[in-house]
Formats: sequence, C-alpha cells, structure tokens
Amino acid sequence: MIFLAEAPPGTHPTVSICNAWYCTFNYDSLISSAIAIVITLLVGFLVAYRLSHGVPGKLQLLFEFLIDYVRGLIRESVGEGGGFIVPLAMTLGFYILVANWLDFFPLAEPVHPANADLNQTLALALVVIIVVQAYSLRVLGVRGYFRRFTKPFEMALPVRIAFIPLNIVEELVKPVTLSLRLFGNIFAGALMVYLIGSLITFLAGLVPSGGLTTGLGVVFGPLAELGLIVWKAFDIFFVGTIQAFIFTLLTIIYFGMAREGLEEEGHGERQRPAPATAETGG
Amino acid sequence: MNHAIVLAGALIAAGIALGGGAIGAAVGDGLAGNATIQGTARQPEAQARLQIIMFLIIGLVEAMYFINLALGFYFITAVASGVK
Repeated sequence: MIFLAEAPPGTHPTVSICNAWYCTFNYDSLISSAIAIVITLLVGFLVAYRLSHGVPGKLQLLFEFLIDYVRGLIRESVGEGGGFIVPLAMTLGFYILVANWLDFFPLAEPVHPANADLNQTLALALVVIIVVQAYSLRVLGVRGYFRRFTKPFEMALPVRIAFIPLNIVEELVKPVTLSLRLFGNIFAGALMVYLIGSLITFLAGLVPSGGLTTGLGVVFGPLAELGLIVWKAFDIFFVGTIQAFIFTLLTIIYFGMAREGLEEEGHGERQRPAPATAETGG
Repeated sequence: MNHAIVLAGALIAAGIALGGGAIGAAVGDGLAGNATIQGTARQPEAQARLQIIMFLIIGLVEAMYFINLALGFYFITAVASGVK
C-alpha cells in the first residue's frame, strides 16, 4: 500500500518507564499538550496582570465578552448556583482552542495538535463527567440521583422502570461521545492533511514520466497544493474553533442535565421557573 | 494471501462506512441549512443568531462523519499491521 509507507498520523512514538501498559507514554502528545498548557497559562496570566478597571485592552475585552457569554449560557441551562462551572468550562474551552490552533504553525516532527490523541480527549471528558456526577449527587442527594435514572418522570411506574437501562446507557455514553467527537475531528483533520500531502508527492512523481501522466501531474499538482491550503484553513479556523465551543457548550449542558428532577422533588429553592434542559444526541 | 483478502475486506468496509457517513452528514447539513433559511425568511432580524446555531449544528453533524473517517482509517491501519 502506497499511503502506508510512511508513519501516518495516529502512530505515536512511545516511551516506557517500566514495562507495563500503564506507564507507557506517548511523549509526542505530552510535548504538544505541554506547549498548549504553557501558552494557555501565559495568556491567562497576561490578561490577569494587565487587568484594568478603566478602559480594558483588546485581549481583556475579548475575555470579558467570552466569560460573560459562558456565564449567560450557564445561567440559562443550569440556573443560579452554577458559578463554579465558569472557570471549568472556560479553561477547557480555551485550552482546546489553543491546542487546536497550534496546528496553524509549521510544527516539527514530535509536536502535533494535542487533541489528535484519544488519551488526551478522554482525560478531558472524564474530568468533566466526574465533576458532573459529583455535582448531581450533591444537588439531588443520593435518592434524587438514583431517581434521575427513571426518566421521564411524568410516565407511569412500569414505563419508568423500562427506561432505566436506556438512562444508564445514556450516562455511560456521555464521556465516550464527548471525547470521540473532539478526537475524531482533530485526528481526521491531521489525517486529511497527510493524505493530501501524499497525493502531492504522488503527483510530483508523475511529472518526469513523460506523456499524458506528465500533463496530469502538472495540472493537478498545484490544485492539490491549493486544496491543502484551503483544507488546513478550514480545519483549523472552522473545525477547531467550533469543536472547542461545542466541548464547552456540552459541558454546560451536561451540568444542566445533571439536575433534572430537582423541581418535582421539592427541595432546593429555584429562582428561575424552569431550567432550559437541552437533549443532545451523538 | 490471507492478508490480501483481509486487507481488501477492510478497504471495502472503510469505503462503505465513509459513503454511508457522507450521506448522513449531507442530509443533516441540508436539514440544518433548510431550517435556517426558513427561519431567516420568516424573521430576517434573527439571522445572526440563527447562523450561530446553524454552525453549531453543522459542527455536531459533521463530527459523526469525521469520527467515521478517523476510525475507518484506524481500522485499516490496524488490520494492515495486525494480520500477517
């Protein structure tokens, strides 16, 4: 197979401390995520250092707008008392954005977009889901937490019992879809860049052969290069941004879903009439 | 010989998966665009808000296709390196 000659994206070089699966690290992902973490922290501290009460700078303005937007989303779908979600959601979203946009720069070999490794996105999703479950237990109590698995609440009891397996599957699938969505998008982006790149080398190899195939190489070679540029711009600035936003949004929506059934239980005073719980698939 | 058959099967399977995923993603994108056009025609002042939601839905819909693409390639490489 031609396109498996070089190492495709997805094969990570590993370093092992001991000889077991749990202490083997994909060191390329460690390096790229470390770079992304450092940039995220630097930008965050820069904004905090240059914080002003008067006329805000452009960066501060952008951050204030984003935090305000996220806070509005949380107020709509979680309600008051969800203030602790703002730092979690904002940090995750901004870190994912930085990690995706790193791909814009010409990267040397071990560095790649950090989210193209399933281990990293799974870690992000697990952190979110663990906090969501803890929040659900704290808000609803143990009884309300297990009662939540008998959605929909307005049905008769046998129907609600029949829905229990579905609800369990729904809870289990949340971290899987959350991590696979981010990983699949970023990994497929890197994969497409790799495939178009190998197409370019294939077309360049056609040029010296003479005859009709030379024409093919001459005509379609520049087209493939243009396609690479267009795809890369689309991948980084559209897909990368949208995925970071979707991860943040789904984090907030999962927090909103974690407090379903609160109003019927009667405990917990609600300031707002009803939470706008959003059902999400996939 | 065995390797060739398995590899051919994996390639065909990845092709079918990609084709089906592309159909689904195209239908989903079309539905989102259709709803956005209808909403904009009914309420032109809501266009900016609708467009944000449309891009969000498109991101969610196309995630399925990209997961398909990534996993299909993953399976091909796994099969190609695993079966001797």
